[in-house]
Amino acid sequence: METRKLFWASNVSKNRHRSQSHWTRSTVSALRVPVFPTLSSIQIDSGNSSTELRMDSEDDMAYEDEYDNQEDDGDDSNPFPPNQSLNKARADENDHIDVDEDDLDDSQNTADASSLACPRICTPDSGDYDVLSTEQVCQYMNDFVKDISNILQLPATTTRLLLSHFNWDKECLMERFYEDEEKLFKDARVIRPTAGDRQGSSSKSECNICYQTLKGSEFKGADCGHRFCSVCWRSYLTSKIMDENVTDKIECPAHNCRILVDDGLVMEMVGTQAAVRRKYQHGITNSFVISHRIMRWCPGVDCLFAIRLRISPDWVCVTCSQCQLVCCFLCGDQWHDPATCLVLKRWKKKCADDSETSNWISANTKECPTCHATIEKDGGCNHVVCKNSACKSEFCWICLGPWQPHGSSWFKCNRYTEDDAKAARDNQEKSRYALQRYLFYFNRYMNHQQSLRLETKLNNSIRIKMEELQQHNMSWIEVQFLKKAVDVLQQCRQTLMFTYVFAFYLQKNNQQDIFEDNQHDLELATETLSGFLERDITGQNVAEIKTKVQDKAAYCELRRNALVKHVHEGYEKDWWEFSL
Amino acid sequence: MATNMANTRIQRELAEVARASDSEKGIVSLEALDGRLDHLLGVIMGPPGSPYDGGTFKLDIHIPVEYPFKPPIIKFATKVWHPNVSSASGAICLDILKTNWAAAMTLRTVMISIQALLGSPVADDPQDAIVAGQFKSQRSLFDQTARYWAHIHAGAPTSVAVMDQKVAQMVQMGFRESDVQDNLSWNGWDVEKALEKLAPG
Repeated sequence: METRKLFWASNVSKNRHRSQSHWTRSTVSALRVPVFPTLSSIQIDSGNSSTELRMDSEDDMAYEDEYDNQEDDGDDSNPFPPNQSLNKARADENDHIDVDEDDLDDSQNTADASSLACPRICTPDSGDYDVLSTEQVCQYMNDFVKDISNILQLPATTTRLLLSHFNWDKECLMERFYEDEEKLFKDARVIRPTAGDRQGSSSKSECNICYQTLKGSEFKGADCGHRFCSVCWRSYLTSKIMDENVTDKIECPAHNCRILVDDGLVMEMVGTQAAVRRKYQHGITNSFVISHRIMRWCPGVDCLFAIRLRISPDWVCVTCSQCQLVCCFLCGDQWHDPATCLVLKRWKKKCADDSETSNWISANTKECPTCHATIEKDGGCNHVVCKNSACKSEFCWICLGPWQPHGSSWFKCNRYTEDDAKAARDNQEKSRYALQRYLFYFNRYMNHQQSLRLETKLNNSIRIKMEELQQHNMSWIEVQFLKKAVDVLQQCRQTLMFTYVFAFYLQKNNQQDIFEDNQHDLELATETLSGFLERDITGQNVAEIKTKVQDKAAYCELRRNALVKHVHEGYEKDWWEFSL
Repeated sequence: MATNMANTRIQRELAEVARASDSEKGIVSLEALDGRLDHLLGVIMGPPGSPYDGGTFKLDIHIPVEYPFKPPIIKFATKVWHPNVSSASGAICLDILKTNWAAAMTLRTVMISIQALLGSPVADDPQDAIVAGQFKSQRSLFDQTARYWAHIHAGAPTSVAVMDQKVAQMVQMGFRESDVQDNLSWNGWDVEKALEKLAPG
């Protein structure tokens, strides 16, 4: 025990990230493309476990074969036997890995030194993340489990349950393991495996589920000691996995026993039923990706790949190499710089719910002073008669007082009574202001979103234009400026769109003024560029337009970078205050 | 229809209840209806010291095809005034009948749990909002109503005189006795309110 402890301690003290360094950075490219299961729709509820895996029946067969092949090679204790070809690819590159390791550690140190609040944009070839197929995820999970099980000297199946309990945070698991092993096992609802066999006694006994008297060898169970016959185990596990969609944490079927059933037993019981086994394996893999903080499924529609981050999971922009979707690793939404995930989430919620509807009502309507019906005045004089047939009260729209005294000489509706009037008008003023402010930002946000959508169309027309121009004495390289300009335009639109989300929650200060100036500059430049690109470009005027477009595109990019940089600097220096 | 495993098991469970003389514990009987093993009738006694004391309560038990891997579907066939039992349908809110069901539990253990639930209601997890509200705010009225219901529906020996009177008074007006009992209970034994419900307008 003592030596193990030391080994681990040295590992940690060197570098917290060191323990992740066995990742093979170059494996992805070296792998053959695996036949992966078609999860025809992976519905991902980010950060939540309510994920459902559904599978395509046809492709399942391919997947099943894959698993069957693996099963022959793998040992029985491991329910997810490693793919031999993956291993080979990995072994061949061992030398490279060592070199990479050091690079990796260095880059991580610098990443940690800079502030965390600042977003980081990672390109696919930066080595900051890699994109894994479902099968590679499986493989990675197996390696991960094996690693820890070697350190803790526990069977792989037990280790997986423990890791799952700690959301795959191995540092946390090891810390707790050496701190208080007994409590750890208790909390994780796992029994420390003992040498004793898992079979029942040799004498005949009765199964507590089906009440059949059977031979002792028919009985199986987890380490909690509860024994049931194989038939019951199979039915129980099938019902849990297939009907209740429970795969990650299946409890022992005994009354009041909350001990978790390990993979070994599950595989022993349902391993022969292809559909159940597949669903179980998918469930485990899925929960691994969802709970592991450096992993996330690509949010792209029908994309079956997972993104594994090699840097600490902060506000990071990643691009899925499979479906080209650019997304935020933290929230899984489209890349939303300069607004943070929290700000974007609030904004989306605000746009979706009808808090603004009530603001509109309070800003544009008044209540009948008698029956409190909501009334919108759409014309006529200020002598209002409530249309509610049960009320029919008459009042003055201006002061909301009863109409009757208005005719008499002593009453003056125009006399300002400070207190009542102030309270009522303040309230209305507030809602009116809130509504206007929201609509201001919302309109601009929607405008850019709309333009972004239209510019996808522009993208296509520009591509056609480029082909046309190439037939008019222009070379391929000469027309590339158009594509570049459209790319810049779209980037600027997207940034602008989210600047309004950012600005809506931003509180006023000097830096906010600078931000708004930047926003204004970028917006102006973007619109000009858009105007240039919308213009009809012909063989005659192309030379003149080319310089204009190129200059403007370069300027836009400059302004966009300036704006983004300023916002990031603000995040670092804590300039921004949000009213969320 | 239940599967073979369920059939064997139900037969054994019926025998278990018959063999174990549980009468001191309040489990009276468990029997198959119409010779079918997927629809059973259970009978339990109201726990001593509770408003249900002396009453005999029938349970309607359906055995799902997946039994024992899915819980049995149980509701009260006898009307009960209890926060965790619907006063209209008899549906029971009990964790072991839902998420906390374990395959190794038996109908006998479930019936014992239901009996225990009668003795100790959980008002924070109610099935019937009206009853639960009354249980929390007007405990003595709740006890009386529960005892009254146990008397009229479950044959418990003691009734509640005040309630008998109010019911008789309204029955004389020409309403059906069962309607009167229900509506008075749901309206906290306020005759006016019950009248309004029974004869609106």
